[in-house]
Amino acid sequence: MTIAHLREKKQASKGHGHPVNVVHHDEATFGERVADRMASGIGSWTFLIAQSVLIVFWISLNIVAFVSHWDPYPFFLLNFAFTLQAAFTGPVLLLAGKRQAEKDRLMLEHAAAEGDANERRTIAIAKEIERNTASTLKILEHVKKRRDDSLKQGSGI
Amino acid sequence: MCVFEALEGGAAYSYRAVSERQDDRTHLVRQKKLARDSAHKHPVNQLHLDEATPGELLADRMANFLGSWKFIIGQSIFMTCWIIFNIVAIFGFKWDAYPFIFLNLVLSFQATYAGPILLLAANRAAQKDRLTLEHVELEASAGDRRLRDILARIEENTAYTNQILGELESESAI
Repeated sequence: MTIAHLREKKQASKGHGHPVNVVHHDEATFGERVADRMASGIGSWTFLIAQSVLIVFWISLNIVAFVSHWDPYPFFLLNFAFTLQAAFTGPVLLLAGKRQAEKDRLMLEHAAAEGDANERRTIAIAKEIERNTASTLKILEHVKKRRDDSLKQGSGI
Repeated sequence: MCVFEALEGGAAYSYRAVSERQDDRTHLVRQKKLARDSAHKHPVNQLHLDEATPGELLADRMANFLGSWKFIIGQSIFMTCWIIFNIVAIFGFKWDAYPFIFLNLVLSFQATYAGPILLLAANRAAQKDRLTLEHVELEASAGDRRLRDILARIEENTAYTNQILGELESESAI
């Protein structure tokens, strides 16, 4: 059941059950949403493959005399494009890291609150058992007393 | 009787509707998200964030600045202006004409620092991860002790119950 449930959740990006997921994903602000989408866009096979195809085309078109060379060897403009990409992926990566760190922080805070609640529940269970044992002990004493009384009566006659 | 006396002091657990408790939990997380710099409840957060050393704080702040919308938008505007000024020569001259070799250098410089800052942030995250696991281990053994304690109590109860059962059985045998 659980893995089927998780499989469903892997596809969906909304309707989470865990409070941290609710706050972090379902209730993300506009900027946070854009940041997530950018990070997952850059870190995708689509991006990697598209970039590779673009580079191959750029270089081959500027080597082979197929069209006029807009960026001949040593490809200054392509170099600039690379730098541009790197100059943005760094900050976007850190943006994603910041998001992750925030989630981490919230998860721990949630765990601390849950831990407290659990501790209280465990104490309540222990107390309840203790009360039950006290009652059981009283019943035992009662039964023993009754047996002793009936023994006394039996021997008396 | 041991483990619980030390934990005593928390109010008795109240039984409330599950949905209500769920709302409370979500609300707590929501509050913590907004109160970014407030004191934390979890020991690992306390140690890692509230008690960060100056170096750690600086690393966090640098990573947070470089990874902010302010920086990304600012850099975009700066770059766009640079390129436009060097194409149309607004000031009457071009200090870095096409293919913008100096801008390339400036951006490479940024990337050269962004890499190490990224790793600085990653190291911090890894450290937190390590501390979290250590904490989980401690908590697990405390939880184990508590469970053993509960089991011992139930065993004690069962022993009494069995004695009663024995008494009643011998009684009905007579």
